[in-house]
Amino acid sequence: MNDQVHNKRFLALAVSGLCLAALVAASGQTAPAATGPAHAQTTAMAADPGEKVFAANCARCHTPPMTLNPRVTGTILMHMRTRARLSRKDEKLLMQYLAP
Amino acid sequence: MTTQSANRRGWKGRIQLIDRCFLPGTIGLLALPLCILFGSTAGRAQDNLQAPTTAGYVPVISGAFAYVQNTSGGVQSLVPQIVPVLLAPMGHSLLLESRVEFTGYFQRENLPSGPFSGRFAGKVYKTVDYAQLDWLADSHATIAAGRFILPFGLYSERLAPVWIRNLQDTPLTYSIGTHPYGAADGFMLRGVAASLPCASIQYSAYISAHYSTNELQAVRAAGGDTSIFVPSKRVEAGLSYQRTLEGYQINNEAAYLSWQPQRASVDLKAEYDRNHYGDGYWIEAAHSPQQFPVAPEFFRHVQLVGRMEQFFVRNGGGNGLARVNEKRPEVGLNFQIRDDWRLESSYGRLFSRSGNSNTWNFGFTYRFVWPLWPGRKS
Repeated sequence: MNDQVHNKRFLALAVSGLCLAALVAASGQTAPAATGPAHAQTTAMAADPGEKVFAANCARCHTPPMTLNPRVTGTILMHMRTRARLSRKDEKLLMQYLAP
Repeated sequence: MTTQSANRRGWKGRIQLIDRCFLPGTIGLLALPLCILFGSTAGRAQDNLQAPTTAGYVPVISGAFAYVQNTSGGVQSLVPQIVPVLLAPMGHSLLLESRVEFTGYFQRENLPSGPFSGRFAGKVYKTVDYAQLDWLADSHATIAAGRFILPFGLYSERLAPVWIRNLQDTPLTYSIGTHPYGAADGFMLRGVAASLPCASIQYSAYISAHYSTNELQAVRAAGGDTSIFVPSKRVEAGLSYQRTLEGYQINNEAAYLSWQPQRASVDLKAEYDRNHYGDGYWIEAAHSPQQFPVAPEFFRHVQLVGRMEQFFVRNGGGNGLARVNEKRPEVGLNFQIRDDWRLESSYGRLFSRSGNSNTWNFGFTYRFVWPLWPGRKS
């Protein structure tokens, strides 16, 4: 009985935490515009379609990568196409964005 | 007939019944992505993406070095880790990729209760996370063969790498869907079923064989994962299912949600997992105060993380899960020194019937991407 009460309290706390985080998220302001892949995560109104793909897909799991050597970009994108389940179109757009 | 043999017959009958019930589901699970594959191939539009790029396809060695000092329940562990990832493309459609983890666990001799000798002792463990050949068969489908990470829930495949995870402690429910090896040996079909401006639907389906060779162990299992992502809201919701097909056959299920609102640098993730031995959830929020009024350039690299999680035992627990109910709130503070260096710290308190304990983690991660040989000059 006591455990159930504790569990309910903990669940309520967890949900409250999520709501608080959502509130912070909803009340936040748009981050300042920046250029390059390192800032794509925070760019809300990305103009480049590749940047949009980057912000929508890559930034879901990890922080933006370090500056990529163009020699490895094709290989990395093959890897990420498999990992992130991207379409070929998204892969090409990312390639044009990361190694123009 | 002895009681034992009667029990055995009853047990076999039960397994056969389960198999018969499960067979249509398995066939359906494996057939769905195939239908998607052929459907997408037939209806594929021509891409007009032939713009030249400077992207090269040289083999890459990537991965991370990490060091974490963990203190859990008063016991200190030093955990260095090297995780190399090899990527070797063969043309533009085949990719050989492998990730190996070398993880050391060192604890002080005699532990906290004995006299401190000044020495730490331990062992280095190596694990092959994946070693797979990917065939990028179609715009919407990739076929992987070999050893691959089980695509179950949000955490195991996407957030587990040491250079990605926001908190170094794995969730309490991590073993659901990944126990005991975290990887499968077999075939997997994965990709994006539909990629539209309003939403994209992603899928994975796999089948794994039993394999007992060292470092490559896997159990017979089948499963799949599907998620829908809405780019305008940056919300993703997904479901995972897995059934082990040997020993005591059980179902593992997960539902997850991910949200990165466009207006703030907050990353919210939540997952609910369930199997025969227990169920539980975790909710994690990470925030970078990018618009902090004081020293915004400094605070842009700071990440605040909070996670709450709870696990409920069913049928005695075990199988990689706790045997008593547990809950753990955890907070973390990370600092991205550069794009490739990150400092990490976290504190969590585990509330458990077997005893409450504090967990502290301090460490760093260095992430690297090195080409294995020079490419052609453009």
